[in-house]
Amino acid sequence: MARVAREMVEKTGINVDQLVELLVKNAAAELTTYYYYTILRCNLIGLDGETIKEIAEVARIEDRNHFEALVPRIYELGGSLPKDMKAFHDISGCPPAYLPAKIETVEDILKVLVEAERCAVRQYTYICNLTAGKDHRTYDLALSILHEEIEHESWFSEFLGEGPSGHFMRRGETSPFVSKFLK
Amino acid sequence: MKRFTCAELRYYDGKEGRPAYVAFGGKVYDLSSSFLWRGGRHQALHSAGESLTEALREAPHGAELLERFPVVGELVEE
Repeated sequence: MARVAREMVEKTGINVDQLVELLVKNAAAELTTYYYYTILRCNLIGLDGETIKEIAEVARIEDRNHFEALVPRIYELGGSLPKDMKAFHDISGCPPAYLPAKIETVEDILKVLVEAERCAVRQYTYICNLTAGKDHRTYDLALSILHEEIEHESWFSEFLGEGPSGHFMRRGETSPFVSKFLK
Repeated sequence: MKRFTCAELRYYDGKEGRPAYVAFGGKVYDLSSSFLWRGGRHQALHSAGESLTEALREAPHGAELLERFPVVGELVEE
């Protein structure tokens, strides 16, 4: 634990145990999404599916990066990950992004992807609101992740015909916002 | 439709097999089937058996997510 770092956050009035619990839930959401997106990606097949596969893969890798970036902050603040992977799955801050039981078109998978991203956008917006001006490091981390989650939502939303997102797929490295926490 | 006082609502806290009910805008919703309300807790911040009318103002989502779940009653004055 980074004792003084935790004390500084406590002094702002933030309930640090509650914040840590939220970070653990979001770490679980990221890792489980990485897993479920692996299955979704494998099922993005055919002419329509292949169009989306590369973008789904970028979102998958970036969600894993988010997990990796969140873990050090959890431990800095005195938290830890559950030792049981099943328990970790079940406390996720977002529902499992299951492969639909029946896939008639690629839209069925896209709806799962966009719902997962929308859950993440809500989660990190809340953490940003909670930590803004108080816990600068968690805020910076949550904001960096939020930037990427919003882009993920935009990509999938556009494919669902919800209008132009204003975004283009990644050119070059993944996680342009979160990579500074991974070095 | 069943009528719940706040005291009666508190019983439905989602713990030890009890259903997870919450109130919002005078309606009582059954969230027992929600992944995000397992064990009667939600996002480290909220508990079943309570009214969320105030809390939802600060939540990163609106009532539309609650409305996906069945209404099982209405909240009435004690």
